[in-house]
Amino acid sequence: MDNATTILAEINGNIGTVGYGLAAIGPAIGVGIVVGKTIESVARQPELQGRLTVLMFIGIAFTEALAFIGIATYFFMTN
Amino acid sequence: MLTTPLFLAEEGAEGTPNPLLPAFYDILWSSVIFVVLLLIFWKVVLPRMQALLDERSAAIEGGIKKAEEAQAEAAAALETYTTQLAEARAEAARIKDQARTDAAKIEADLKARANDEAERITAQAHQRIEAERQAAFSSLRTEVGTLAIDLSEKVVGESMDDARSAAIVDRFLADLERDGATR
Amino acid sequence: MSLLASAGSEPEPFHPPSISEFFPQVFLFQEPTIAWLGEEDPIFGINRIMLVRFIAAAVLILVFVLGTRRMRIIPTRAQSLVELPLGFVRDGIAYDLLGEKDGKRFLPIITTIFFMVLAMNLTGVIPFLNIAGTSVIGVPLVLALVSYVAFMWAGIKKHPGAFFKNALFPSGVPWFLYIIVTPIEFVSTFVLRPITLTLRLMMNLFVGHLLLVLFFAATHFFMFSAGGLFPLLGVGTLAFGFAFTAFELLVSVLQAYVFAILTTVYIQLALAEEH
Repeated sequence: MDNATTILAEINGNIGTVGYGLAAIGPAIGVGIVVGKTIESVARQPELQGRLTVLMFIGIAFTEALAFIGIATYFFMTN
Repeated sequence: MLTTPLFLAEEGAEGTPNPLLPAFYDILWSSVIFVVLLLIFWKVVLPRMQALLDERSAAIEGGIKKAEEAQAEAAAALETYTTQLAEARAEAARIKDQARTDAAKIEADLKARANDEAERITAQAHQRIEAERQAAFSSLRTEVGTLAIDLSEKVVGESMDDARSAAIVDRFLADLERDGATR
Repeated sequence: MSLLASAGSEPEPFHPPSISEFFPQVFLFQEPTIAWLGEEDPIFGINRIMLVRFIAAAVLILVFVLGTRRMRIIPTRAQSLVELPLGFVRDGIAYDLLGEKDGKRFLPIITTIFFMVLAMNLTGVIPFLNIAGTSVIGVPLVLALVSYVAFMWAGIKKHPGAFFKNALFPSGVPWFLYIIVTPIEFVSTFVLRPITLTLRLMMNLFVGHLLLVLFFAATHFFMFSAGGLFPLLGVGTLAFGFAFTAFELLVSVLQAYVFAILTTVYIQLALAEEH
């Protein structure tokens, strides 16, 4: 158990992990909003589904980029 | 997920390469692969695909054209049939009219001919009756004359010569006719 | 966590996934080297990941060159398998966003990006290859630069001189707001676009690989090394491994689509009359 504790302490020392956790919150909410709104729009106007899906993926791509920048910060902040 | 940073922390000290820093050969080979793929898609695959699409749309257009031609042909054929039919109908009507007038003419002809024939027959009959009457009249005149002379001979008891008897008969008959005419 | 960590004392320890998996030994052309980013890198070095990329590219070339060789007007089943994805990129991405005229101009780049990303993503779930060619930064970076150059070229060609003005000083904004808007536009258009393109693709596949390795390594550890009731846990991790393999398949296709469509959107924005 002592061994585990020390290793856990090392993990806690790595602030990048926490950073990623924080960085994932925003995009998660954002992607949720994007997808939810798309579903709402499709329910309202089903004939626009094709275009809305494209727009949804573009929106998701922009939103989730922040999460991946979040992962990357760990690497360029530690060096 | 937590194991990853854990391991990184251990390895990081020993100089694990940073995944965000590309190695030179990485960039080189990636570019080479991209260029090769780009050339292949650009010069080989997409032109072939475009050619196929052009061919396909041409085939579709050709099909449409052919169908249009067939339709026009059918329309033309229908047109001819309709005109022919109308012509045939007019012809039939014409023939019917002709037949009707012909029939009327024939009927009139026949009627006229029958009338003529009837008149002719009537005339003939009249003639024959007249002739027969004449014959009967002349024979009767002779008979009656002879009979009267015979009778008068028997009554008178003497024979008369023919010349005298003939004159008597003629005179008698003339009287008779005169009586018939005054009556 | 403590379970995994304390396993270190067992005869066969748990092998967690590590960054070094993305940097296997260069086994061919270790010479000559070049000074690059503070290190001596072999110029033509070939390691396992480069080999995986070559295989993916070779398969791609084979499929599309042979598949489009004798095309019929009425497609056979095999031909429609080749035609369908090409048609999807053409109609669904390029023509849909750029229109037919501009779409045709940029179709080679968009098609190449889509299929290159797709093929190299899929190597991540193909047995024995087991690593995505795009999970190492080279391919995403090169493709992001291609996309960057493509949309800049499209914009400059369409609006010579006005492209940067349109991009940096959007019309309809009061002049004093340019102090705030212009730096934001500059960073988002000319700095963040290639960076996000690179990182989105690379990190998706990178993390996907780490997750798969984590699940399967944990399964192996639970099944064969941990003993006790741990094999039961191993069943769970194995199931998760399968689920995430399927998820990685989805991610592979989705990331290829997203990369291609973002490139197209950037080109479309550059071609647009006014921003």
